[in-house]
Amino acid sequence: MGQERDVEMKEVADISNSDEHSSPAPVSKTIPTVQSLKEIVSMIEVGAYSKEVRRIARAVRLTIGIRLKITTSVILSFLSTTLQPGSEAHARLTSYLPKVDEKGNTVDLAEFPPQGSSKSPPEVEIYCYLLCLIYLIDQKCYSQAKACSTAGITRIKNMNRRTVDVLASKLYFYYSLSYEHTNSLSEIRGNLLSLHRMATLHHDELGQETLLNLLLRNYLHYNLYDQAEKLRSKAPRFEAHSNQQFCRYLFYLGKIRTIQLEYTDAKESLLQASRKAPAAARGFKIMCNKWAVIVRLLLGEIPERTIFMQNGMKNALVPYFELTNAVRIGDLELFRTVTEKCSNVFSKDGTHNLIVRLRYNVIRTGLRNISISYSRISLIDVAKKLRLESDNPVADAESIVAKAIRDGAIDATLDHTNGWMVSKETGDIYSTNEPQLAFNSRIAFCLNMHNEAVRALRFPPNSQKDKESAENRRERQQQEQELAKHLAEEEDDEF
Amino acid sequence: MDPQLTEVNQFLGRFTAAMTRRDFTNCDSLLVQLKVLLTKFPSLPPSFQKTPNAVQELSIAREIYEHAVVLSVKNEDQDAFERDFHQLKPYYTDTRDIIPPSSQEYQILGLNLLRLLVQNRIAEFHTELELLSSSALENPCIKHAVELEQSFMEGAYNRVLSARQSVPNETYVYFMDLLAKTVRDEIAACSEKAYAYLSITDAKRILMFSSDQELTNYVTQEHIEWEIKNGSVFFQKTKESSPCKEIPSLQLINQTLSYARELERIV
Repeated sequence: MGQERDVEMKEVADISNSDEHSSPAPVSKTIPTVQSLKEIVSMIEVGAYSKEVRRIARAVRLTIGIRLKITTSVILSFLSTTLQPGSEAHARLTSYLPKVDEKGNTVDLAEFPPQGSSKSPPEVEIYCYLLCLIYLIDQKCYSQAKACSTAGITRIKNMNRRTVDVLASKLYFYYSLSYEHTNSLSEIRGNLLSLHRMATLHHDELGQETLLNLLLRNYLHYNLYDQAEKLRSKAPRFEAHSNQQFCRYLFYLGKIRTIQLEYTDAKESLLQASRKAPAAARGFKIMCNKWAVIVRLLLGEIPERTIFMQNGMKNALVPYFELTNAVRIGDLELFRTVTEKCSNVFSKDGTHNLIVRLRYNVIRTGLRNISISYSRISLIDVAKKLRLESDNPVADAESIVAKAIRDGAIDATLDHTNGWMVSKETGDIYSTNEPQLAFNSRIAFCLNMHNEAVRALRFPPNSQKDKESAENRRERQQQEQELAKHLAEEEDDEF
Repeated sequence: MDPQLTEVNQFLGRFTAAMTRRDFTNCDSLLVQLKVLLTKFPSLPPSFQKTPNAVQELSIAREIYEHAVVLSVKNEDQDAFERDFHQLKPYYTDTRDIIPPSSQEYQILGLNLLRLLVQNRIAEFHTELELLSSSALENPCIKHAVELEQSFMEGAYNRVLSARQSVPNETYVYFMDLLAKTVRDEIAACSEKAYAYLSITDAKRILMFSSDQELTNYVTQEHIEWEIKNGSVFFQKTKESSPCKEIPSLQLINQTLSYARELERIV
């Protein structure tokens, strides 16, 4: 699970590269940061008044960009200018912040005279919660982060505004993250479920998406695959809103399916997750690749060497490379040594039980090799070559070969009286219909792919209406709102 | 002591006495009464109220459900086993920090794994397995079930059968007997594909029958397509893909036409 944590950081990692000075900003530098925070807030205000969710989403993105420049004094001066002084939110948020800044100097609250605007929309308040939370998590003050996020969540529960949804989904995410760092994820499960229910009732799809992923993560953290699958299969599905959330969903789905032996579907989701993940999310990609390798091995495929040679993943994937090698050769002895040697890695990745399942695949590949090399071989030799260690290797070998024949792994027959395995002559495949069928299915696949792609083409919604300028639109919306208000009032009068 | 707790304790005493007498009908009726009494305890799942008696109530409830699971095995009732086990499971997962672990826990979990194996619910088997810690996997009861599943997957059926002698607990015998039946069907299915024929003595040994009569009965009931003649069992070979004698023209024409149609759409 350790490396998976990188997943959480990926949105951050995108931006942190562009940020050269990660050292705490001196006081002189706090002013530009506060200034940019104020710009963000005004953007949120405009977004809130004009009901444009897109502006708020942009504000959140910008915040992540200046994340590393934030210090205690920046936050304090920002809070005292934005929130109403003496208000409940202001008092509460300042109480969570550390009283000592990065250089060990005590920060005096009196240094930041309250000059807050009197009236700000609730979006700004939630934004302040989010900002404090991100800062606290960055400073590793997890217990304060827990308190701060819990307070923020309680506040959100009493709001029903679609413009808060973007901020709320971020807040949910950090809420879960702060509990994960303090190792108390199971405490918030009930809360997350009720939030998910609320988001569903409010048709808040982004919130549903985020919360579903957080819940899946919560269950999988405790290996509760059964509950996770039950929730996943019953939760409403819709087109993904956020790529990151969709990647996570695919990864969790892949994990669940692997455990439940639906390897083909699992492979598809895991590969898709690792392809869709942004390049900066290295930890996430590594994890996806690890699981995908095992699933492909369980399916009887051998992953290509290039998978293990990808940039920045080489070292992390070494144990899995050795494992693949053992399965490819079909050597039980080598398989056993690799499993023992890397058991630490495997149990840390939570893949240990899956690797135990691989033993059968090793035997099968071994048998296939034998069956190709020999046209007739005694069962005693088969047992010896497979290095079966048991009291009665020949009887074991016989039933194992029998099962492999039934599963279609090898094409052979058994001669019980002589104790032989006789491989069948491979006939000329080109004398049958087989190649033609394979060719047909490939062409059908390509044509289908083309059709799907055409169907998936997206067109901007109502491209004609979009021609009116943003100004006009805002005006029109305002008029519509007033009209709606009038209508509502008239209705009230009637009763 | 709480009067309700005392009452449950008395019933439990009578229940265990009946269990040792192997008086299972009496056990059943006592168990029903016990379960009704348990509904009055406020600290049990799913409410988990923190009452002063919580520890005693939880441990006694857990003990009752453990007995219920064992009783269902003795009664050879798989549905009851599943029900009781699901009622018991929250006590193992969600009360870890309230009451000390039960000595029976691994035995019961192992039994459940075995049941899933017998019912061929392999996906659920693995889901349950994921919930166990690495130290739990070392426990003989759990290890037994895990190794059985592995041998079963590999096809080392004689290992599955010899495991019956090394069962960690007598309650496991019931499921092991059921497993033997599943194994026989598996072996029959494999042999059918792997051998052209088998002499009756060999077939008897491989399929674990003690007399020729049993083998003939099995063949007539389960695999009517097998033939017994000249002291051997002949399996029907599946049709091999024979070299194609003529070109399947109609099919080819259809396919080519559909390609043309699709290409038309693209260009």
